[in-house]
Amino acid sequence: MKEELQFKLQAHLDGELPAAETREVAKWIAQDAEARALFAELKNTRGALKVFESEIRLPESREFYWSKIQREIARSEKPQTTEKPSWLASWLRRFLVPAGALAALVIASMLIMHQLPVRTALGEPESVSAFADSEAFTYRDYSTGMTLVWLSYPAENGFAEVLPSDTLGYE
Amino acid sequence: MSDKAYSSADDSALVRAAQNGDMGAFEELVARHRDKIYARAYSMMRNEDEALDLSQEAWVKAWQRLKQFQGESSFATWMTRITINLCLDQLRRQKRQRSESIEAMDEESGGVERQMPVVNVNPTEGLERGELRQRIDQALSQLTYAHRTVIVLHEFEEMEYKEIAKTMGCSIGTVMSRLFYARRKMAALLSDLKRPE
Amino acid sequence: MKHTFTPAPQMSWFALVFFLMAGFTLPNRAGQNSELKFEVQLIWGTNDKQSPNPKHKEVEPEIRKKLDELPLKWNSYFEVNRKQLEVSKGDKNKMPLSEKCAIEVKDVDGKRVEVTLFGKKGDAVLARTQPLPKGEILVLGGNAPDRTSWLVTLKRIK
Repeated sequence: MKEELQFKLQAHLDGELPAAETREVAKWIAQDAEARALFAELKNTRGALKVFESEIRLPESREFYWSKIQREIARSEKPQTTEKPSWLASWLRRFLVPAGALAALVIASMLIMHQLPVRTALGEPESVSAFADSEAFTYRDYSTGMTLVWLSYPAENGFAEVLPSDTLGYE
Repeated sequence: MSDKAYSSADDSALVRAAQNGDMGAFEELVARHRDKIYARAYSMMRNEDEALDLSQEAWVKAWQRLKQFQGESSFATWMTRITINLCLDQLRRQKRQRSESIEAMDEESGGVERQMPVVNVNPTEGLERGELRQRIDQALSQLTYAHRTVIVLHEFEEMEYKEIAKTMGCSIGTVMSRLFYARRKMAALLSDLKRPE
Repeated sequence: MKHTFTPAPQMSWFALVFFLMAGFTLPNRAGQNSELKFEVQLIWGTNDKQSPNPKHKEVEPEIRKKLDELPLKWNSYFEVNRKQLEVSKGDKNKMPLSEKCAIEVKDVDGKRVEVTLFGKKGDAVLARTQPLPKGEILVLGGNAPDRTSWLVTLKRIK
């Protein structure tokens, strides 16, 4: 069979032929055993392939998969400060910066003189270390005084195996 | 929206919410379509790790471009197109590294497969779905990148010849030729796999 | 008439504000204790309505409310274990939370604590250093199998 005719059979199967040609090819298939056999083979293969993807499942848990996407989105959305400063921002920068510097000097002197720990709005140093083969991200809600540190990857540790069978009141 | 509201909302509502910055709505979309997106990436890449990475990259890109989605197609279709384009980019990069040439592949597909005897046995007969899927998986992995791609775009993505030609950067004639070759090769491989030892 | 702002009066005003802030934030030395006290809970997060372990009860409403304010998505939280932990000033204290995990709390400098979680092999899984004033809660957690989660809440009560 010529290549052109083979492709026509395929195009007929795929609904890619104009109406008139579709009728011609349908008639040809009905009359020609070789065309019929090839058409059946192409159709069977297409039918077999329909099964394939519907059986494929993502091999990761919902939370794990999502946490990686979420982290990547957060990383890509880190703010870039390229905006032109407004007149208010310029004014604040012009006057607040020297005022703040002076105030900081005053506070530093007080600290040296009194050696008292001060809780500042700048925040004390914090650190997170994730030792296992995993990463952690931190969420802080200042209004409620809550901090969440979350291990994104399910590490091989006893915590990830906290099953309902763990007894209450373990000593 | 609460979790219950997310799970009962349709895709359009979730997309609208996500376009307004609702990450919970976007997460629900991910949960709904993740298998399909992963499956599409896996069909193209034939590698679980690559499919995972590329499917996740597709979701991140989708979030970044969500405002551009105007509902011209279903959300699932829009997502699979993003996935396919990422996979094609990756395959092209890999292809450059392997120095394959399209011309050589076209020559390869030029004569032999047109002369293959027709396979009369229906490959799905007598097989459990899981077993059939395994055989198809095996057969797909034996196709070249270009022929597997045309199968994925046509059979799974349900693209027309014209669309496939545009996506793959080739003529409609080449699409038809590759698709024909890929199908005949699949039929032969599946029938070979069925042949008793 | 055009007003011009001069820096000097503005700087004085801000300096005064900072003085006052520093004064109000000085700690009350008379109230300082030599020991820190914490309440620790090991919690299992799940979307199931009930825990397979009948001994588990749902977390208290106060904790539930706190957890709901965090970006967590589970419908139910069950208390697996609850303990109190005391740490002397400048010292540390470690205690098991279950057969497979333990927590250690160390007083770093009187206001910051270092919290370390240990896994089943005794390896450190996660460490967090931060201030934890009385009444505040630190939640450490991660994913667990079958779309569940584990959480350890640490609340300073003294």
